[in-house]
Amino acid sequence: MHKVLAVIRREFVERVRTRAFLLSTLLFPALMIGMTVLPVLLDRRAQAPKRVAVLDGATGEAGSRVADALAAARRNGGSGGARYAVTRVLAGDNPERRRDSLVRQVGLRGESDGLDGVLVLTDDAVASGKIPYYGVNVGSPQDMRRLETEVQTALRLERLRRAGIDPFVALPALRAIDLEPQKVSDGAVTGESGSASFLLAYTMSFLLYLALLLYGNQVMTSVVEEKSSRISEVLMGSLRPFQLLLGKVLGVGAVGLVQLAVWAGTAMALTRFRVQLAGLFGVAPDALRTMPIPEVSPGLLAVFLLFFVLGFLFFASMYAAVGSTCSTVQETQQAALPVTMTIAVGLILMFSLFGEPNGKLARLLSLLPPFAPFMTPVRHALVHLSAFEIAVSALLLAAGVVAVAWLAGQIYRTGILMHGRRASLREVWRYAVLKTMRRWRRLTPVIWRRWPRSWAMCC
Amino acid sequence: MHDIAITLERVTKRYAGHTAVHALDLMIPRGSVFGLLGPNGAGKSTTIRMIMNILVPDEGRIVLFGGEPASRDLSARIGYLPEERGLYRKMQVLEQLVFLGEVKGISRRRSRELAEQWLARLGLSDWAARRVEDLSKGMQQKVQFIGALLHEPELVVLDEPFSGLDPVNSQVMKDVVVEMARQGRTVLFSTHIMEQAERMCDRVAIIARGEKLVDGKLAEVKRGSGDVHVALAFHRNREAAARVLADRALVARTDDYGASAEVTLAPQANGDALLQALVGAGVGISRFEVVEPSLQSIFIAKVGADALTAIASEVNGA
Repeated sequence: MHKVLAVIRREFVERVRTRAFLLSTLLFPALMIGMTVLPVLLDRRAQAPKRVAVLDGATGEAGSRVADALAAARRNGGSGGARYAVTRVLAGDNPERRRDSLVRQVGLRGESDGLDGVLVLTDDAVASGKIPYYGVNVGSPQDMRRLETEVQTALRLERLRRAGIDPFVALPALRAIDLEPQKVSDGAVTGESGSASFLLAYTMSFLLYLALLLYGNQVMTSVVEEKSSRISEVLMGSLRPFQLLLGKVLGVGAVGLVQLAVWAGTAMALTRFRVQLAGLFGVAPDALRTMPIPEVSPGLLAVFLLFFVLGFLFFASMYAAVGSTCSTVQETQQAALPVTMTIAVGLILMFSLFGEPNGKLARLLSLLPPFAPFMTPVRHALVHLSAFEIAVSALLLAAGVVAVAWLAGQIYRTGILMHGRRASLREVWRYAVLKTMRRWRRLTPVIWRRWPRSWAMCC
Repeated sequence: MHDIAITLERVTKRYAGHTAVHALDLMIPRGSVFGLLGPNGAGKSTTIRMIMNILVPDEGRIVLFGGEPASRDLSARIGYLPEERGLYRKMQVLEQLVFLGEVKGISRRRSRELAEQWLARLGLSDWAARRVEDLSKGMQQKVQFIGALLHEPELVVLDEPFSGLDPVNSQVMKDVVVEMARQGRTVLFSTHIMEQAERMCDRVAIIARGEKLVDGKLAEVKRGSGDVHVALAFHRNREAAARVLADRALVARTDDYGASAEVTLAPQANGDALLQALVGAGVGISRFEVVEPSLQSIFIAKVGADALTAIASEVNGA
């Protein structure tokens, strides 16, 4: 155990010390802060009111009501400055000519008669709801949505008035509704909102995918580097292949955990302290768009972590085994394809089964170790599995981890001494599997007799 | 206390298509300096890897210190320097040594103490905090050597320890090995450089094509060869000497160094006849001495001349 700890520590310390680790660990939070704050800062720079002309060709008060509504619109949910600088222009006898001359003013910069857009109101438009707008900012969906909302509200009032209804009576009846989904499992409300657990499931499986690709590959590279620097045989003199493999997987895993924790911590801190952060940059707190932190029950989180760790061990051992059969880092990319594909297939299957988390296929995949790390936690988040189902899936996965780690250890002990060429599948099969099976058959009685000691020898 | 450090009993290892080691018996007493000699491909490294439990023999038994556990569980008592040796290039020298000590099973603190002592002893203290990749090749070799030996093992297994070393480092390593032997530790090393083995070993085994040819104390091996060896040196008329030495009735084998030669007499010939023939041919002789055979000549006699050329080309190439 002492030896495995030494390998874990070396792997961890040497990795954490590298500049690459420091950069990638700090760069991501910096990016997150940037992504939260920058849009607001940029938006503030573009805070000059949009100059909008309302060409009023409608009878009655429709035009003036729209113009007033636009003029009253404020930024940042009502606290900021005016969003629009509105001019109301009467259409007169020749609305088309009037419109054309206004449109010519659109886009002129810095001049007193420049405009950002022209809104054309006619009786037809008010009735049909099709309001032409000529502007420089029609490409911005955000701008258009805002404008639409303002105009819609103003015209609704006007239409109600025309129909002889007092808007102040009618408005409360027109208030929009919001569906509030509540997740129910086994007849009880869990208190989690449906979208939150979905989002969490989504995020976690994506994180697992990312961690596997990032750190699984690091395990593989580290094995190959040990081979190419010819230190592997020096280590083989004192370490069992399995000890070395275990130390590597756990060491790199610990590095990954630290990095993920820093990233997740930043995301949480951003949400938690967004008021202070907003103050720091001098912007309104509500304007900061942060990642929503879903409310998760501790049970769900435990299931996630369990499958995350098991999934990592499962695939990282595979990566280590692949690394031991290669001599150069370039070779590994091709050799690791089956492993990488399996991971990708797991992720894709998980996405495609969002719609039917309790179907036959989903249940089956939960029982297969390579797919369980993706399927089971996500299904649990969506439909709340029974403890029995989770336990079976976790046990099968754990058995898979043991089998893969054992097999990887066998491949590793063969591969690690081979230089210059890749071990072929046949060789791996012959050395790793057949030989060990033969040895096992010889050893089985011994192992049963001395079970505790053989177990201790593995670690 | 068991007085046998390593025992091999009919150890066999087969690879696809060929047998690397065949029914090898070896017994290495405690406190001896044991040379495992043989040409390339003789099975030296395979034997050593099996002793280190890196490879598992197909047949036979290997016993260390007379006990049962495999070498890895005894790693605190064994120092191993493989033929293919390397270091973590990005790691600092001292940390690297501490790590190598730790995986052998000694405590971190003890490992650090020992590493610092060794670095001081081999004049590398100033480099302790440097990365391995900043060191010259010679210094890296010293670090590798320390890595194998820092935990003061009672059994030292070195696979081709002197290959690729410059003369200065070669000397340093030799001193270290001799020092370890003097402290009563057992040293097993493989080599194909006979002079080195001759000067350092008290026991040797010569193996070729996976089989043992000779085994025993160095003096016995030399005496046991039975041939008469004569050391010669010439100062005049070497061409005539070459003609005499080519006579197969007198000389079985010649190891010609130009100005001097070591010859093995033909079974029915004797020293007098050779001396007469040389004098008669008008060769100027500055040395004529019946000697113990050198390990080199025994090796060649046992292994064959074809193996010698293979070795010569490798030595020149290296």
